[in-house]
Amino acid sequence: MGVTAQVARLAATATHVLIVEVPGWGETRMLLEAELDRRGWTSALSPADADLLAICGIPGEELGAVCDRVWDQLPGPRTRVNLTASARIPALLDAAVADLVDDARQRHDAASRSRSSVPEDSPPDAVGHDEHGAHEAAPADADLEDSGADEAGMDHEGMDHEGMDHEGMGHGGMDHEGMGHEGMGHEGMEMLVHGIPLAGGGDDRDGLEMDVLTVPLGPVLSHWPAGLVVECVLQGDVIVSADVRILAAASAPTELKTPMADAPRRRLIRLCDQAVQLLALAGWGSAARSACQLRDAAAGGVVIADQAGALDRLRRRVERSVALRWSLKGLTVDVASGGTDALAMSGNEPSGDIRLRLIEWLREATDLADTGQFRVQPLTDAQAAQESQNRLAALPELLRGTDLATARLLVAGLGLDTAVVASYEVSPRHAGHGDEPHGRASHGGEADGGVVHG
Amino acid sequence: MAARLTAESFMADVIVQVSPAWAVLAPPGLLLFALAGAGLNSALTARSAGRPFLSGASAPLAQVARLLRQRRQVTVAADVLLWRVGTGGLVVVALLKILVIPLGSWTLADLDAGVVWFNTMDVMIWALFWLIGWGANSAHALVGGYRFLSLAVAYELPLMFALTAPAVAARSLRVGDVVAAQQDLWFVIWMPIAFIVFCGSVIGFSSWGPFSAAVGRDIAGGLLTDVSGIDRLLILTGRYAVLTAGAAFAVPLFLGGGAGPLLPAWLWTIVKTALVLAALIAIRHRLPTIRPDRFAEVAWIVVLPVTLLQVLIVAMMAKGS
Repeated sequence: MGVTAQVARLAATATHVLIVEVPGWGETRMLLEAELDRRGWTSALSPADADLLAICGIPGEELGAVCDRVWDQLPGPRTRVNLTASARIPALLDAAVADLVDDARQRHDAASRSRSSVPEDSPPDAVGHDEHGAHEAAPADADLEDSGADEAGMDHEGMDHEGMDHEGMGHGGMDHEGMGHEGMGHEGMEMLVHGIPLAGGGDDRDGLEMDVLTVPLGPVLSHWPAGLVVECVLQGDVIVSADVRILAAASAPTELKTPMADAPRRRLIRLCDQAVQLLALAGWGSAARSACQLRDAAAGGVVIADQAGALDRLRRRVERSVALRWSLKGLTVDVASGGTDALAMSGNEPSGDIRLRLIEWLREATDLADTGQFRVQPLTDAQAAQESQNRLAALPELLRGTDLATARLLVAGLGLDTAVVASYEVSPRHAGHGDEPHGRASHGGEADGGVVHG
Repeated sequence: MAARLTAESFMADVIVQVSPAWAVLAPPGLLLFALAGAGLNSALTARSAGRPFLSGASAPLAQVARLLRQRRQVTVAADVLLWRVGTGGLVVVALLKILVIPLGSWTLADLDAGVVWFNTMDVMIWALFWLIGWGANSAHALVGGYRFLSLAVAYELPLMFALTAPAVAARSLRVGDVVAAQQDLWFVIWMPIAFIVFCGSVIGFSSWGPFSAAVGRDIAGGLLTDVSGIDRLLILTGRYAVLTAGAAFAVPLFLGGGAGPLLPAWLWTIVKTALVLAALIAIRHRLPTIRPDRFAEVAWIVVLPVTLLQVLIVAMMAKGS
């Protein structure tokens, strides 16, 4: 027993955490990442690699259901935490460790999962049915197809644990059959294997027949805008068509999380975060880590003027890298022509080549750190929301015909702020007054002119 | 063999085949190297994250403990048999590779075509990575498998010709003969391009650093997306093991085998292997990942012709001497 406990203790020093960011809770996610870094923990890329599921924020109904499904995919020993108050992050992580190393508890968890292969008891079942019911009235049932399999975005087939296969089969099978019988559908004729429809065929961009798969990207995916789901039709790794939507939060965050977070600092944090995501996706871990440290230092409240030098060095390093130039060559996000408005042009964001955008982000961050104020008047809340909305609308067209690697880089290069869009959708034409937009601006990070006091 | 035993090469470079019983030492040796490599890697990561260098060095042990404790998971409708062949196969292939690598003057298998044996083993890696991607029956893993294959198509031919160069110079495919032929001058000196291409290919077949697109962050870990517990441990160990085997093979091929002052030959082999391995691991922390589709162009238009040119030069010099 002593050895087992020691192994568990040792294992817990390298805990892998799968982070789910609810739109609007980006700062909580960043604070969590900083805490993981301090502890030497790793953020997991997929549920199979995770011990701990950390949900940052209060997810809405649909996102909550996705979290539950992802939770089912953690192999175990596993535990989950909901992070809503930044001050409590260390305490909650400590509690999570206690839970992970508690063998009795983990054994009980494992046993209860094996038992749930009996069809009658299973909360996920209820979730599946709820969703099914909710969608029944909806005329557009494109997303229904995947709610049966897996919405987690990690893989299209859904996942199961050894000894639980029957449950998985039952689920997928039931959902899909249900669809067929109710005549909603489009796939009454499809063959199912373990509840998953076989991949269909279709001509690819070169006119060769190739399998067609429907794969949702997001919402649980690292280096991906919070809550964003892109339903992709894939041939090989090429996106044939894409549908975009956002799974919103249950409520806007109310707590102002970063101490001393004036608008320039928030903007700087956001710019660094965008750089982190893009660099990480480009596979340049060390540069991403540098950007991450600068971001976390700024969020932690250091004097940002001290960071100007380091930001400038990072920018020059990025600018000089031949390999990065090569990998990002020819990747452009033509935001200006994609959106119909002039707002995208008026902002201080450059458009076009994503490598230049990255460099420009770092240059702007350096500038902010240097002077402590905006060079160009930042967008108002409503403008930022409108801009994000336009980019989101342009996304399907942007992604069509790209491969997954390109698509991921393009999405990161857009620097989408889903928080402003998600809340924008809830209350359209919201021109920014009262508490809510204030909170939104502080978390979305797209600075609100009205809040700036400089 | 008689030609080898001439006066100038009778010293330490006669490679003797030792009893197969010594093979029991091969797995622990390889795993120790793999562990040390993983330790160096996480130490470098820790340093760049601002944590103490040594705090990272013990991370692989924690990782092993974590993965041993984790439940193994299968996806729905997974091709379990082929998946397991892929996950378990990497370590096996790495072991088969080091069979022909002499430790000082001792080797486990003094094959007539040791160089070809090594090449055969690295082609097996194609199959293994593909099976890992295929077996999970999930989109991201499959994309990872495709990515590995497209990378392999780019690195394999240059690798074959890079392996050819020392063999041509030594006029033998026997690893022992290649070592003996470096008595006067290490091959790394007069065939540097072959050496660089070889090291790049080792990074490629280990799906490591700049060539790690198959396990990329942009596809949620790719080949590793759906593996957990012991399966994940086997794959991660296997990657370090093939990286180690590749580094170790560079020693007899380009770095004069066990040749060196003061230290015994076997220790020189180990020291050189460790240095090459450390360099390969450090590269990961300097370069971004290269996209396989972009790399293919360069591999075929630049790297392959340059490697062929290297072989041509080596062949002409070998003929002339």
